[in-house]
Amino acid sequence: MQMKVDSCKPAESKISNLTFINLSMLGVLAVVFVAASLIVPRFFDINNISNLIAQQAEIIILGIGVTFLLITGHFDMSVGGIVSLGAVVSAYLCQAKTAGASDLASGLGMGYGKAIIITLLCCMLIGVINAFFIVKVKVNSVVVTLGTMAFSRGVAMIIAKGAQRITGLPPEYKQIGQYTVIGTINIAVIIMIFLLIIALIVENKTAFGRRIYLIGANQVAAKLSGIKVEREISLLYITSAFLAGVAGIVMASRFNAGNCTLGTGYEFDALVITVLGGTSIAGGFGSVVCAVVGAFILGILSTSVNMLGFQPAMQMLVKGFVIIAAILAQRFALDKRKV
Amino acid sequence: MRVLGKISLKTTVMTIYVLGVLGSIVLVFSLISVKFIGVPNIVNVLRQSVPALLVGTSVTLLMISGNIDLSVGGIVGLSSVIYAICLKAGIGYLWAAILTLLLGLTIGLINGLLVVKMRIVPVIATLATMSLSIGLGKLLSPDGIGLIKGLPEDVIKFARTGFLLKLPIAFYVTVIVVGMLVVIQKKTVLGKYSAAIGGNKVAAELSGINTKLIIWILYAIVGLFSSLGGIARASLLSLGDPTTGTGMEMDAMIAVVLGGTSYTGGEGSVLRTTVGVLILTCLTAGMQVIGIAPYWQSLVKGMVLIFAVTINSLVKEKIIEIIE
Repeated sequence: MQMKVDSCKPAESKISNLTFINLSMLGVLAVVFVAASLIVPRFFDINNISNLIAQQAEIIILGIGVTFLLITGHFDMSVGGIVSLGAVVSAYLCQAKTAGASDLASGLGMGYGKAIIITLLCCMLIGVINAFFIVKVKVNSVVVTLGTMAFSRGVAMIIAKGAQRITGLPPEYKQIGQYTVIGTINIAVIIMIFLLIIALIVENKTAFGRRIYLIGANQVAAKLSGIKVEREISLLYITSAFLAGVAGIVMASRFNAGNCTLGTGYEFDALVITVLGGTSIAGGFGSVVCAVVGAFILGILSTSVNMLGFQPAMQMLVKGFVIIAAILAQRFALDKRKV
Repeated sequence: MRVLGKISLKTTVMTIYVLGVLGSIVLVFSLISVKFIGVPNIVNVLRQSVPALLVGTSVTLLMISGNIDLSVGGIVGLSSVIYAICLKAGIGYLWAAILTLLLGLTIGLINGLLVVKMRIVPVIATLATMSLSIGLGKLLSPDGIGLIKGLPEDVIKFARTGFLLKLPIAFYVTVIVVGMLVVIQKKTVLGKYSAAIGGNKVAAELSGINTKLIIWILYAIVGLFSSLGGIARASLLSLGDPTTGTGMEMDAMIAVVLGGTSYTGGEGSVLRTTVGVLILTCLTAGMQVIGIAPYWQSLVKGMVLIFAVTINSLVKEKIIEIIE
């Protein structure tokens, strides 16, 4: 299978493969947006559009971690479970300590800031577990991360007793998810933009980012040229887990509850938007921009399906078709570029 | 390295280990609660493992060839919905089953098409089909809430009512299917070729094996038996539910890995996967019997998978050390 290194340019072209894909998918996004605005009543409305953006915040945050790992050729299916872990643990830690109340109504009564830090550390621990089994024990990443997903969700379910922790939360708890700056743009969106900027800088301007692409292109060659492959991949898993924790805290804040079912299926969704937007599943090629574009394309399609009155289940059908179409189209386009 | 005639050292070790795990689990649970060893519980466990057995054993063949199928849960769910709809529409049991099985076969063929002809990576391809199957199943269910009730009373005769030794017909059908799959894996060309593909796809291709056809057939088999599992589920629960198969892809993977099949392919055993499935079902049933709340299951399953996968790796390394 041909390796398409992202900086490769076909002889006659001025832009790299990655830019080509990014622009193409942005084009697709534009088309989808215009089509939706024309076909779907009340779509082209400032409230609707800012809602759309706010809804994608969490999945894009997950997408950042998944993208970097996918570029190195690894999967992280545990993010959905870590999201629920982050949500539940953050709730449990800062829930008021009420003596004599039922188990679910009493927490550890920490301050919100402290709770967040500890929650993120717990989530990063899952990342460490992932890294250990994938890098040291050398187990297949899909299998291990599915296991850690079940494990993290399991811990969340135990802490929340299969339900959620909703009482006694401090007033700051819902700020991230519910405090809106303009329209429906909340702090979550700002966090997302901030993380995206960092991710883009890392991707394009740092040596670390370069190394990630090299590992993805050819792991053996990367190792032989001195790159500490094991360390980089471990770092990526810990980062992905950290990001999933952030997403979990944000989600819990949005619902003002630590619910253990949050994030179900998000690992698949994160993978879908990443690949939809153009990141190659074979590794070595991609960008967080792809995840963002992919998320919005899928978001517009899902919302449109909803607003046109179809049953929610129709969204799943659309998702399935879209992802197949996107992969085929991207491969076709890249093949035709005569690299 | 041949130790006991035709059986290699690794296979013997793995088989003993896997049976040992099953034995210990049964022992531990029986000691905690005598109810576990009681006939009603044993019947329950065997009855409930029917869908998982069908899915797990067919997936084993596929995983031996190095491929994965995440859509099995969706196929099971969709099949239960289709079967239920057929029965409610008055179509006889036989034709309902045939239609459902054809559907499963078709989805399997679609999976094969995506993976083999369109060369889409199995993870994504089967994720897409999973999405399509569950979506379709939900659309066909009333109000998208998704439970098709009101099935004719006889429906449970397949997978719930005792037929022989208190075990349902479905159980014996499963035994036959598993038997067939064991034979396919060990004795037929299909089995040997899938192991070859799993071991080294390029080498297999170069030595003349039609890898595309083989992989396609394997996906079709998984689709077919997953839909049979869906029929069994519908019969067991007396309803059609598109989400009834949720998590089965993971359970199947756990069972396969528990059974010592390498997830990268090249070797494996349908029989050991069967033991793996039983281990999982015993675990879940056991936890129910001794009264552990259901929300502990996710944690336990996750730990079991990680544990199994680590043991797999370690055993492989140790065996290589011993041989050398």
